[in-house]
Amino acid sequence: MSSWFDYTINGLIIGNVYALVAVGLALIFGVSRLINFAQGSIYLVGAYIGWVAVVQLHTPLPLTIIVVAAAAALVGLIIERFGLRPLQNSVRIAPLLATIGISFVLDQLVMLTFSPNPRALPSQLPDVRFQLGGGTIGPLDLLIAGVGITSALLLFVFLRYSKLGWAVRAASQDRDAAMQMGVDVNRVNQAVFGIAAALGGVSGMLVGMYYNQIDTAMSLQATLKGVVAEVVGGAGNVPGAVIGSLLLGLVESYGVAVFGTSYRNLFAFLLLVVVLVLRPNGLFVSPRQAPPEPLTGTFIAPSRPLRIPRWALAVAAAIFAVLPLFPVSFYVLQTLINAWLLGMLALSLTLVAGTMGQVSLGHAALLAIGAYTSALLSLTLNVPAGLAIIGGGLMSAALGTLLISPSFRLRGHYVSIATLAIGEIVSLVILNWESVTRGPIGISGIPPLTLFGYDLISPSSIYWFSFAVMVVLALLQGRLLTSHLGRSFRAIRDDDIAARAYGLSLNRYKSLAFIFGGFAAGVSGGIAAHLYSYINHETFNTQQSILALTVVILGGLGNVVGAIVGSVALVGLPEVFRIAAEYRILIYGIVLLLLVRFRPQGLLGTI
Amino acid sequence: MSNIDRRTLVKGSLAAMMAGAAFSRSTFAQSAEPILLGVSGPLTGPNAQYGAQWKQGFDLALDEIHAAGGINGRKLAYQFEDSQSDPRQSVAIAQKFVSDPRIVMELGDFSSPASMAASPIYQRGGLVQFGFTNSHPDFTKGGDFMWSTSVSQADEQPLLASYAVRRLGLKKLAVLHLNTDWGRTSRDHFVKAAKEYGAEIAVTEGYIAEERDFRSTLVRVRDASPDGLILISYYSDGALIARQARQVGLKQTICAASSVYSPKFLELGGEAVEDVHLGTRYFPQDPRPEVRKFIDGFKAKYNGQEPDAFNAYSYDAMNMAAAVVKIGGTDRRAIRDAFAKVKDVSSVIFGKATFDVESRRVKGAMNAELVVRKGQFLLWDGKPT
Repeated sequence: MSSWFDYTINGLIIGNVYALVAVGLALIFGVSRLINFAQGSIYLVGAYIGWVAVVQLHTPLPLTIIVVAAAAALVGLIIERFGLRPLQNSVRIAPLLATIGISFVLDQLVMLTFSPNPRALPSQLPDVRFQLGGGTIGPLDLLIAGVGITSALLLFVFLRYSKLGWAVRAASQDRDAAMQMGVDVNRVNQAVFGIAAALGGVSGMLVGMYYNQIDTAMSLQATLKGVVAEVVGGAGNVPGAVIGSLLLGLVESYGVAVFGTSYRNLFAFLLLVVVLVLRPNGLFVSPRQAPPEPLTGTFIAPSRPLRIPRWALAVAAAIFAVLPLFPVSFYVLQTLINAWLLGMLALSLTLVAGTMGQVSLGHAALLAIGAYTSALLSLTLNVPAGLAIIGGGLMSAALGTLLISPSFRLRGHYVSIATLAIGEIVSLVILNWESVTRGPIGISGIPPLTLFGYDLISPSSIYWFSFAVMVVLALLQGRLLTSHLGRSFRAIRDDDIAARAYGLSLNRYKSLAFIFGGFAAGVSGGIAAHLYSYINHETFNTQQSILALTVVILGGLGNVVGAIVGSVALVGLPEVFRIAAEYRILIYGIVLLLLVRFRPQGLLGTI
Repeated sequence: MSNIDRRTLVKGSLAAMMAGAAFSRSTFAQSAEPILLGVSGPLTGPNAQYGAQWKQGFDLALDEIHAAGGINGRKLAYQFEDSQSDPRQSVAIAQKFVSDPRIVMELGDFSSPASMAASPIYQRGGLVQFGFTNSHPDFTKGGDFMWSTSVSQADEQPLLASYAVRRLGLKKLAVLHLNTDWGRTSRDHFVKAAKEYGAEIAVTEGYIAEERDFRSTLVRVRDASPDGLILISYYSDGALIARQARQVGLKQTICAASSVYSPKFLELGGEAVEDVHLGTRYFPQDPRPEVRKFIDGFKAKYNGQEPDAFNAYSYDAMNMAAAVVKIGGTDRRAIRDAFAKVKDVSSVIFGKATFDVESRRVKGAMNAELVVRKGQFLLWDGKPT
């Protein structure tokens, strides 16, 4: 029994750590309706500023906190002013993508300044421990809890009783009305970003002290856990974020208690999906309250797509088709193979996110399902690679649609968060379901691609094969978009209430889109499995999902040609910048920011 | 007119002479061009720190190789391509290296997915893929162009099990391991050996690399009441677990795999890693001449910084590459065959390294039994803690 007391205490302690990030996220969401994926990077910046203060300047703790809070707030203000304010009137997806770009830039700047080696950040509190149950708790645990709860309380009081707080709430409820009433919305935004960033920075520093360890890879995990906690509590609800964090900590701790350490994150993401399905607005926001997103065209910019004449497309396709006949290096061919594989994934995503309006941040899971199915079919049942890949596509279509279907009733950002969670769940199931997936060892010795009994191992033949598959999928999808079905998809995207009133069954159409999209992604994963000959649970990770989303936005949502152009560009860019070595991710982040700033509807525009 | 003609003639012949000189200089430069190795590894992304450590080891080895006259008078150099240890990028890099005639051999990649995804391309392209951090049991099964100096876990883990069970007398063990191909393989070898030596495995817990909070895991460990904790971890997570174990009141003896051996382990772990036992393949006080030379050279080159395991791997790898190229020349196939011919190459990890042609790995890693005392790694004096 005493163990359960200990698990509870441990869950509450780690929950406090999550709360530090979640509170900042909730505050920003409350005002800007924006999930700030850069919050984890501010947390990282705070940790390193804390390190400079403690280790180099030897500041005492109160001064350290002030220095970190001030510096992080400054970073937050800069992000707001130069990264996000210019995007105020653009599509809703633009600021989301901008925060991802900003996080690339910040993480990379910290890494270049401080080197990627982890550093020790010594705690400035005395190391005394108090006995509590079977474990102990120290002053830093209490300080973290204090900071988390106090900041939530202070924010609550600020929002409820101060004049600026009223302005914040007014701006969050109806931005235009608030502006008409004389609220300076920019000042409100600034205040919120400054406060949230100060909190984020201090939390990074405290957590660094708590573990006596900071490293440049800590930001993504912090963002993920913070987002989960925030959405569980109810996006935009500050006290809800604290309770959501504690709940997340407890669920993880009890999950470890019952099932063991390797299942820990699985429970975190399952909790999120369950909460989203049962209470789509989170636990502490009334489910009857109108959803925070507008109902129509949430993410879609009204734009006139760039129509590329058919003959030009045919010429371009012909040029790419005959490319291997010319003396081009295998490196170029391989890079283009990567682009075609990413192109299939982007086709899948542009259909569900662009045409259907269901933004997915977990699309790599479809690759993984396709890859594992195809690899296992050909290894254990000796199915020829060509058929196994089709099997992978079918499995991705079926399983992917089944997994995603609970999220069909969600809207806007909640769909992205749910898909993010489903992506993580698939990866963790692959890691833990050893009897089928071989767990962390992964699958090696996957046979090469075969077609009618011939092995495709030369770069040219793999190139032709993947290019042909992509072109066929693209033609099918192009045909689909101009059909009645495609128009129904877009009707649901643009106004689902009107579409429903007109008699369209939303779930059925969303399923159809995911079935086709799942197939394309699964085929891409299957080809990759046979191409690489070795896959494990990390081969298809969250970064892949984010890359795919970037490609789709770059090309133009729902735009088939755009998805392919975007793939070639985003596979090509890092290769072009390869000589820039350590700087290339930084450049990539900046390019992403510029794109979002100057052409949010994508290169070719939304269809 | 004739004057001009003559001048033109003189000019022309001068130009021809200069062109000839330039031509002969360029052919001369050609033969003095360094022999180029390709490196595929992480310089950005979550594993960037390891790529940075590789470079330090490579550069130190190259300094020494060039000071000793290079490869038959020619210099050795490497071209480092950032793969982020991502299989998509390592595959493209593999095509790039295979089709670049200047590259005679490839080193890397860091992780198994990135390395093994690229293996078929190196194998078909006939370019040696020399993985020096690839302990995945299937890495060298990718073909006869895959060679590795990474210590097989089948080799290392029984040594750690012997240290824990036979020397320290721990009978009931809790094993915490990184849930990756490396951690999993290591755990299996460790558990097998520990059982053979008569120990009981009370509990095993796998955790993912991003994990930072181990308190609940440690309650599970406590409830299994082991008399020793075994950490199959890297130094950063190893230090975290040790700290949290002490914080939740676990006082058991801790033994760790050699991968925690790093000055960073002491820095990150602080007092919590006091009395941690570890088997390692080298340590700064090791009197072996290979180790002395490596550590002194490293400190001299990098402002007194202490090297750690990944520095040693990359240093050894570059020295091994030089030894192989010395025998094999610049022909790719001859270089592959040379791996079977190199004998007793001076090595920090192995003392003297020779490949086992069957497994294409080196056998017989050196092992020193260390313990952390007063914030330093020391040879264990045999006294129980």
